Amino acid sequence: MAGSATHRLYLSAAVVAGIIAIALAAPLLPLADPVKMDVPARLALPSSAHWLGQDEYGRDVLSRVIWGARVSLAVAFLSAMFAGVIGTTLGLLGGYARGLVELLTVRSTEAIVSFPPILLALLVVTLMGPGAVTLVVALTILYAPGYTRVAFAATLATRGLDYVTAQEALGARPARILTRTILPNVAPPLLVQFSLTVAAAMVLESGLSFLGLGVVPPAPSWGLMIRGARSTMEQAPWLLLWPCLALTGTILAFNLLCDSLRDVLDPRGSVSEIPWLKRAAARIFPSVGPAPAPSSLLSVEALTIEIDSPTGPVRPVRDLSLTLAPGETLALVGESGSGKTLSGLALLGLLPASMRIVKGRVLFVDRAGRPHDLAQLPEADMRRLRGDEIAMVFQDPGSSLNPVHRIGDQVAEAIRVHRDVTGKEAAASATKLLGDVGLPDPRQRARAYPHELSGGQRQRSMIASAVANGPRLLIADEPTTALDVTIQAQILDLLAKLKTKGDMGLVFITHNLAVVAEVADRVCVMYAGEIVEEGPVAEVFAEPRHPYTAALMASAPEGDRAELTAIPGSVPPPHALPAGCTFAPRCTRAVDSCHSIKPAFVEAGPGRASRCLRWREVA
Amino acid sequence: MMLRYALARIAVALALIWAVVTIVFLVIHVVPGDPAELLLAQGGVAPDPAAVAELREKLGLDQPILTQYLAYVCGLLRGDLGSSLLDDHSVAEEIALHLPRTLELILAAGLIATMLGLPLGTIAALRTGRPIDRILSAAAGLGLSVPVFVVGTLAVLVFAQKLRLVPAGGFVPFTRDPAQHLLLLLMPAATIAVGLGAVVFRMTRTSVLEVLRRDYVRTAHAKGLSARRIVMHHVIRNALIPVVTVLALHMGSLLGGTVLVEFVFNWPGLSGDLVRAVEQRDYPEVVGIVLVISVVLVIINLVVDLLYAVIDPRVRHG
Repeated sequence: MAGSATHRLYLSAAVVAGIIAIALAAPLLPLADPVKMDVPARLALPSSAHWLGQDEYGRDVLSRVIWGARVSLAVAFLSAMFAGVIGTTLGLLGGYARGLVELLTVRSTEAIVSFPPILLALLVVTLMGPGAVTLVVALTILYAPGYTRVAFAATLATRGLDYVTAQEALGARPARILTRTILPNVAPPLLVQFSLTVAAAMVLESGLSFLGLGVVPPAPSWGLMIRGARSTMEQAPWLLLWPCLALTGTILAFNLLCDSLRDVLDPRGSVSEIPWLKRAAARIFPSVGPAPAPSSLLSVEALTIEIDSPTGPVRPVRDLSLTLAPGETLALVGESGSGKTLSGLALLGLLPASMRIVKGRVLFVDRAGRPHDLAQLPEADMRRLRGDEIAMVFQDPGSSLNPVHRIGDQVAEAIRVHRDVTGKEAAASATKLLGDVGLPDPRQRARAYPHELSGGQRQRSMIASAVANGPRLLIADEPTTALDVTIQAQILDLLAKLKTKGDMGLVFITHNLAVVAEVADRVCVMYAGEIVEEGPVAEVFAEPRHPYTAALMASAPEGDRAELTAIPGSVPPPHALPAGCTFAPRCTRAVDSCHSIKPAFVEAGPGRASRCLRWREVA
Repeated sequence: MMLRYALARIAVALALIWAVVTIVFLVIHVVPGDPAELLLAQGGVAPDPAAVAELREKLGLDQPILTQYLAYVCGLLRGDLGSSLLDDHSVAEEIALHLPRTLELILAAGLIATMLGLPLGTIAALRTGRPIDRILSAAAGLGLSVPVFVVGTLAVLVFAQKLRLVPAGGFVPFTRDPAQHLLLLLMPAATIAVGLGAVVFRMTRTSVLEVLRRDYVRTAHAKGLSARRIVMHHVIRNALIPVVTVLALHMGSLLGGTVLVEFVFNWPGLSGDLVRAVEQRDYPEVVGIVLVISVVLVIINLVVDLLYAVIDPRVRHG
């Protein structure tokens, strides 16, 4: 992506450079005099002497197109430059000094922006008379505010940075800081602004000339040429073509240059993927054998997720296996980067478009007792399960609710997709659900917008829409992480209360061991894309059988342990996994074989499993 | 809540109108040289001092600057924009006659541009990187680069002169012949809509792509909504917010665009008066028209701001 943006930048820059070079070279080229008339040969067709023909006064069109480029470009560049110097200075001063200076420099130029550009230009033309100089003055006034705004914003952003503060502390004079430190940092956005201004100035210059209020005849200018050709459009329509092409082509080249400059300078703007929507395509691999009917609600077998990276495909989740019985709560716990959130999204078929399940099965038994392999289910069938049989609560309720719809409507929507009910019935159910999840005054809250609720209330609403259809399986991805500690406890209580009502299975994804102890029956500890230990919560916590679990517990700020041990190092990224045990580089108990042998996930006592070669010694 | 937001926006708009009025006044007095002398100067010949003095008196330029400013503002408050230097007709009356025609042109252009730009931009965003997206994006890039008078002139050449589908330009009042009126409106409105539609397309495309990445779209998927409902219900309304803002920002250049388009198509709107007034240096008329158009622009922005609050409930609470 970055490569092709750079490529496009060079290409458009080369075209622009070519146009400028031709314009500059006009006096050196063997061209006819652009203003020499030859009335008998008016509207003559192209000939060997006049390659593009002659205009309404018999002047050479090719020569006028090339000399016209000089006028257009000169006016555009001069005004862009003057506007740049004046506007940038004002913006730098305003951004650096703030206060009254800001009012005089930045705010006053903003008023200019409220004028339609061409009107302000016409006002200046009325007072100064038409001509190239007037154009430069008018365009400078018009385009200076653009630079002021860009320079002001960039200065504000830069002056708060540490190195600027450091220079101030060293006693550098403001002028020096402005020119030496801030200016180079605001240069990239100003460069984009410059090419934008040149293009805009050319449009305006040609427009004014076209009206007869810009460049004064007989000097050649593209706008004037179009104006002239318009009057002889009946007899010689081809005369319109050349200046139109030259003008549009040049502006197009400048616009492309702006776009690719922006792409290169601001890589954030490039768009490379859209999640989910592309997923509708059916999966390539057919189902492997008939799915057995397990007694469990959910049974994940050897799930492996792959993502394309510049260095080839990598696997952020490998060989994930777990089971969940109806009514059970399973905690998926691990540090960030362990793959726990991706695993949760994969269960619902909500992986980003760049990722896919390459191996494994996800068997889910629906209300009717039919098993489905979620890893291979077509999107249409998956959609029928989502929000109905399987629901998900996300980490940040602030961004997971749509800001422009009322809370009640967002809950009711979940019901209406899957149930054949009227809008009124759905709304009533939604209000009841909001009451059930503990929102005070649910009737009134249902009419509120997300921004009018507290974080805890938003998460309660999210949970209400997740459990609206009485799902068999609820996946909660860090549902309390974005909330205050007291609110966290309330949400956990709410989830526990919802669990007691039926046989809903809950997969609870978290990094917080204290939360695990509170809500879960069993726990799966994830590390670098793999489950490293599994077992009943009480047993695992009392007697971990993987060094990572032990280290995680030791580092947790919970309980009355006096010492806090941070685990040294960090989770290896999926493209740079160690050869042996993934945890070996950070493990205090590792021996030589740990670095060379990949441990299997083996049974470690009744109901327990561990991915450690030495689990017996660790225990 | 809504009322308080509306009142705040109206207050800002009034302040802006005052600023516009003051800037126009300052431009006249700050641009170097004596306006009266400049206005009378013909081809470098120094004007007759008696004539200059007479014009100065007529324009009130012999008064102290503060008195001039007060007189000018008081006149505006009474709806008095002065009278033409050429034939003494009232500037305000002429504007009242021609302004609706220009607004009609803008409205029609905005309608065409939105009707094309919004759906096509959404389609392109939902099909990023596919051929349809590439074709539409390239077309929009071209649409943004062709100056409006080039589009207009070429449209006259092709559709009026070669194909003879529509008249080359002109104006018939709606009350006299509605069909002919709309037919004559079509080409100038479509001409403005080329560039404007490209702007709407680009903004919509970027904005939809941005919204598709939001968490609440993922929530909608998790609820099991269909792709169609997600786009119609959750994506488009959120995506509209920046599009409306950008449309408002472009109203200025749009109004400017009418100057050229009215000239090309012989549409007797306000902008035609302006060009004529500039040519003849009829300075009270120029000032009057610039003022009125700027005020209209401020009002359009106000309406857009209020519209914005209807789309996005968060805005009402500022």
